[in-house]
Amino acid sequence: MDIGYLNIVVAPWRSSRNHCDRCENPAFRNEKCNLWRELKFIALLLFLFFPLFLSAQTFKPENPIQFKIKNAGITVDGTISDWEVEVDFDSKKLDQSSIRGKANPESIQTGIKLRDKHLHGREYFHIQKFPSISLESKSFKAKGKNAFVGIFELQIRDVKREVEIPFTLSQTGKQQKFKGEFVIDRLDFGLGEKSLVLSDEVRIFVEF
Amino acid sequence: MKIKKWLSNLPMWLYGCMLLPLLAFGLSKQGTSYFSVLDIPRIWTDEAMKDWELPNSNPAYSAQPVTEEFYYNLPERVIYKTYPVYHPDHEPEGYWDWLHEQEAEIVFDESNLITEEDWIKAGELLFDYPIDTLGAVINIQHVRNPEFYSSTGMPLTPEGIMPFAQWVVAGKGKVYLGNLSCAMCHTRVMDDGSLLKGAQGNWPGDKAFAFALESDGVSETGVQGITNILFGSAFVEGDPHGKLMASGRESILEAYKAVPEGAFGRQGTSILYPPQAPNLIGVKDRKYLDHGGLGQHRNIEDMMRYIAMNQALDFLNFYGDYNSLGLTKERLNNGQPIFFPGTYDRHSEAQLYAIAKYVYSLTPPENPYKPSAVSERGKIIFAEQGCVTCHTPPLFTNNKLTPADGFEVPDAHYDKYDIFDISVGTDPGYTLKTRRGTGYYKIPSLLGLWYRGPFLHDASLAKLEDLFDPTRLKDDYVPTAFKPHDVKTKAVKGHEFGMELNEMDKKALIAYLLTL
Repeated sequence: MDIGYLNIVVAPWRSSRNHCDRCENPAFRNEKCNLWRELKFIALLLFLFFPLFLSAQTFKPENPIQFKIKNAGITVDGTISDWEVEVDFDSKKLDQSSIRGKANPESIQTGIKLRDKHLHGREYFHIQKFPSISLESKSFKAKGKNAFVGIFELQIRDVKREVEIPFTLSQTGKQQKFKGEFVIDRLDFGLGEKSLVLSDEVRIFVEF
Repeated sequence: MKIKKWLSNLPMWLYGCMLLPLLAFGLSKQGTSYFSVLDIPRIWTDEAMKDWELPNSNPAYSAQPVTEEFYYNLPERVIYKTYPVYHPDHEPEGYWDWLHEQEAEIVFDESNLITEEDWIKAGELLFDYPIDTLGAVINIQHVRNPEFYSSTGMPLTPEGIMPFAQWVVAGKGKVYLGNLSCAMCHTRVMDDGSLLKGAQGNWPGDKAFAFALESDGVSETGVQGITNILFGSAFVEGDPHGKLMASGRESILEAYKAVPEGAFGRQGTSILYPPQAPNLIGVKDRKYLDHGGLGQHRNIEDMMRYIAMNQALDFLNFYGDYNSLGLTKERLNNGQPIFFPGTYDRHSEAQLYAIAKYVYSLTPPENPYKPSAVSERGKIIFAEQGCVTCHTPPLFTNNKLTPADGFEVPDAHYDKYDIFDISVGTDPGYTLKTRRGTGYYKIPSLLGLWYRGPFLHDASLAKLEDLFDPTRLKDDYVPTAFKPHDVKTKAVKGHEFGMELNEMDKKALIAYLLTL
């Protein structure tokens, strides 16, 4: 089963378990598993990683992802409304920060239903085979007061590419608000084919 | 003067050298090209015919054409000089007797064709040339009867010429009415009486055929028999043509009469789902031929194959074990000739090449609808409404095939053909329930809309305005062009774009479409 970015969240636990002494020490190998010890071990792990779980928040943003693309000289506005992000961002600890997002391309809307249906199909998002779009941060750099640039890995269909996203953060108390904008070449991700009228570049706006 | 003197002193051999480049590159003016008959490809090879056509929507019944050996054993057509057919009230005095005094004149001789222009000119002659003189659709009695013209609403030129058939003179006193030229379906008599060759024709062919069957007093069995030959497709789900045949003589004749000019139930299609007569102007740029995209069009050879096949050789096709003439495979291949219009001879490769060249050369007349402020606004609406996705400039088609409702695109087709994988919901009858059906519809070009009509693949709408009228989606709608013979009303579903626009925007959009 594809559990998407949730797989990344549980990864530290898997990693610790894979390297525990108990598993690697031959003395323990034939010992019957003691349920109580296992539970204590898991409790300890939960305790150790509790702050990490606490600080990472997964939520569905109010505003949809917006995009703009030129088609026959006209700018077409579209949205992807079903998406969620998981944010663990501290502007003072950029190297420990992360932002992950996951969007459902089935929720794409461009104002023309049949066009949306076409975008679901093989030529574009091929939602039957690729039901989600994912974005995962790799690194961040500060670019002035409340301004940052993140390197993200963006996956659309079966194509993963790094994208650079400049964004701003406005923070009120614990509440953080991010706003970013970037451009991709749709052909890099296998979205449609070269066209005389449809632009290759898609401008994407995210706010959460 | 010094230069002149210097030139006069040059030796003769130097002048000769100056001429060498001319000898190497030709003395012709630019743009004229020369062509050898030897360059014409052999088009009907077993290998090429194997996958040139798309499979039927039910692939078990995909067309199996005659073999290469069978095809090339057919004699080549002799092309005689033809003469115009007049409405009897407009025929010049003495014309009929004069025709009977004419000698046969063979007018196609490929050895005389040298330049591109020669081939195109010969192609036009062949485009107009009827391949049948047995009376496949209409015969002498019909066209010499004034009632034929009034009952079919036959378009005529200002001279009273009926341009869809020709008199063929095969010898002194041998005057035959010729049917089944390309021009029969692809010639349009414009409102001013001028002829537009290659356009969506306005030959009322099915009305004419109904007149012929009625006036000849053809029996019910006869009407059923010929209708089965033309459209029989017992293998399709529900067998709608079988039901039509069973409905009796009068009902079948009504079905013929229901097909409007601008559409024609040619063989393998249907009078229940009649195809709009295609516009050939600009066909050079189309990637598929036929409304269902049956024939691939990758090069001129494909166009030649299409012409060869569609000028009646598809009557010899087998669909599974079914052949509409009632042939068995043994009978087809036993060497005995088959006397059915268009199947006992064939065009030569040179003839096919010339027709293809002519069809490729067709250009539209000057468009009287000039761009205006209103049409420019329509152009923006055209983009805003997303029309450009399918009707992409400059061809105003993306040259793709769109599946009809009820057809699931096989995975292998995505790599093989150009698929636009959503349906626009138009009537699936033609492409799912006929011998020519592929499960797809070709996305049509919008070029030349101003001289075309009726619209949609089944010619159900007379005007562009009807396309944007939301009442057409209701069951109580009376289609403005084709309406099946057995219903009073019918919703014209699908292609539901631009229907929510206000009246001003619709007018602007139509104004733009007419400029294309």
